[in-house]
Amino acid sequence: MTDDSMSQAILVVGGGMSGLSAALEAAEAGFKVVLVEKNPYLGGRVAQLHQYFPKLCPPYCGLEINFRRIRSNPRIEYYTLAEVTSVTGQPGDFTVAVKQNPRFVNEKCTGCGKCSEAVTATISNPFNYGLSQIKAAYLAHELAMPQRFVIDPSIAGTEDGQKAFQACPYGAVDLGDKGQDLTFKVSAVVWATGWTPYDPTKIEYYNYDKSPNIITNVMMERLAAPFGPTQGAIQRPGDGQAPKNVAFIQCAGSRDENNLPFCSSICCLASLKQSTYIRSQLPESKVTIYFIDIRAMDRNEDFYTKVKADEGVSFVKSKIALITPTDGGNLILEGENTTTGERFKAEHDLVVLATGMQPNTALNKIPYDVAYDDYGFVLGNQAIIGAGTVRRPSEVVTCVQDGTSAALKAISAARR
Amino acid sequence: MDYQQDFAKEVYEKVDSGAEIKVCMQCGVCASTCPLREKMKYSPRKLWTLIRAGRRQEVLNCPDIMLCTSCYTCKVRCPRGIPVIDVMHGLAHYALEKGITPREETKKFGEAFWDSIYETGRVDEATVPIKYCLKDGMIAGLKKSLSMLDIGMALMKAKRLTPKLFIPPNFFIPGSHKIKGLKDLQKMLDKAKAMGARKEG
Ligand SMILES: Cc1cc2nc3c(=O)[nH]c(=O)nc-3n(C[C@H](O)[C@H](O)[C@H](O)COP(=O)(O)OP(=O)(O)OC[C@H]3O[C@@H](n4cnc5c(N)ncnc54)[C@H](O)[C@@H]3O)c2cc1C
Ligand code: SF4
Ligand code: SF4
Repeated sequence: MTDDSMSQAILVVGGGMSGLSAALEAAEAGFKVVLVEKNPYLGGRVAQLHQYFPKLCPPYCGLEINFRRIRSNPRIEYYTLAEVTSVTGQPGDFTVAVKQNPRFVNEKCTGCGKCSEAVTATISNPFNYGLSQIKAAYLAHELAMPQRFVIDPSIAGTEDGQKAFQACPYGAVDLGDKGQDLTFKVSAVVWATGWTPYDPTKIEYYNYDKSPNIITNVMMERLAAPFGPTQGAIQRPGDGQAPKNVAFIQCAGSRDENNLPFCSSICCLASLKQSTYIRSQLPESKVTIYFIDIRAMDRNEDFYTKVKADEGVSFVKSKIALITPTDGGNLILEGENTTTGERFKAEHDLVVLATGMQPNTALNKIPYDVAYDDYGFVLGNQAIIGAGTVRRPSEVVTCVQDGTSAALKAISAARR
Repeated sequence: MDYQQDFAKEVYEKVDSGAEIKVCMQCGVCASTCPLREKMKYSPRKLWTLIRAGRRQEVLNCPDIMLCTSCYTCKVRCPRGIPVIDVMHGLAHYALEKGITPREETKKFGEAFWDSIYETGRVDEATVPIKYCLKDGMIAGLKKSLSMLDIGMALMKAKRLTPKLFIPPNFFIPGSHKIKGLKDLQKMLDKAKAMGARKEG
């Protein structure tokens, strides 16, 4: 039943938890898989998380297991820094064009980091959501798969680029790298390009761009992560001080007709989880969670109960209507406490906006005739198979299940 | 305390935009975005709760529903897309129609506004407030104008009010700044009023 010929191959777009699951399940069932990932590394957004709710374990355990499965499976071929530019044909017979962008570092790289030491230019580090700078010759992050450096295109043609070239003892820096155009014939396409945090500047009354001490939940993950911009020390970006009185604002832009009209389903749990980061690292600090209603379903409800038992975490039923920065770097929050009926102003020294997940298919459409719902999520039962957060906002467990289910659909298309 | 169970239904069916509040999720954003939040006894959110609870007298007599300055912030911000301002105006209008005046001052100001349009075809920052102040007679009117002097000065500073409007003949000769074709405008206004009355009836 196993057939490695490309005509039965499956293409998976996006190397996050959904795409990895789909790719691995299909490959382990005997099918050839081509995995196309836009970033210079695999793993997607979970690689940027500090811990997983509700168990509070590091996402890297699970990722490492998946990476090992990939390394030991000859049926998976993966391409990083690559994007699909066109898809033609139909299930059973697709032709897919892929553009791989230059990395300027070839497979001879050992990860020694000499190129990085040699260059002087820095870029805003996308892995830390701009909370830190990184050398323009860099490893995307400590545990990146593949462990291969990247040279930012901005220095490839400069003196800095030359320095990197000269510094590499293995001849791995290739400044003439033009990337490559590839074509694949496959019988099924799984689309798992994931999500993007909703742009907080669109919620103008939160004044996100007016204070460094207003951050988003994805930035909070980086602040708590041991390999993050502060080596895991939770600090106010404005002055490096440990926050004493942190506010989480739920549904920041979600469930809002003017922004994302749907519930992202994970941001309540993300804030509950992040409040444990703060309370365990800074036991003197207080946390207040402002919410419309807390959505912690099924097994996750126990986690909510656990966090609620902590006296240092209070819950205020109110959608915050305005954030005003003070001269001292604090933030004044205004809202109506809908339990007591009081309108209030509350001062905090760090505010975390629990922004939601926008499907990447809302921002970047699939180059094929595909139907979406009003918010840009991929609908089911189509020629191209959506998987994970491009189908609905979801946590990792659901993404893994959905990736597996996408693999099954792809297999049945491939065997037709 | 009055509880009239069918009041919510009455609002959904009879009040302009009243049915929109069905989708309110009680988040409280409207309460905190309103520039008059300090002056309101209730917030729009609480009013909707009172409507759902059937507190007819309390809602229709509540001055808040006539306090709105039509700034539109609530309508822009409501996460459920409820035209909060339209519901507030709808409620005020409905109360007046039922013979209730939730807030005397707003009613008087509205009348002054209407009269000014009707009589001259214009509204301006001088005529309307003066008409409004004089609603309670000369002495009370003078007192009221004096109490609002600071607002007048601020308006002048912001160039929203020119002293010219107080200089004869602009103000003292009635009708000296009527628009051309006032009669036609009045015909239109009469018709609009009749249409409004028919709709309500
Ligand atoms: C603050 C926060 C905390 C969270 N914490 C948890 C938690 O504790 N536990 C939990 O279960 N879930 C958590 N989640 C949710 C979790 O992040 C998602 O469930 C998970 O990332 C979804 O995986 P995915 O593969 O669908 O998408 P992604 O992780 O976004 O992966 C998609 C991949 O596709 C790539 N890609 C994008 N566009 C293209 C393209 N055009 N071509 C090729 N590749 C492309 C991306 O680079 C990325 O690698 C959290 C979410 C947030 C916002
Ligand atoms: S999960 Fe919570 S914070 Fe996120 S949109 Fe839903 S209700 Fe709001
Ligand atoms: S802002 Fe809208 S949804 Fe929120 S309480 Fe007010 S009317 Fe209801």
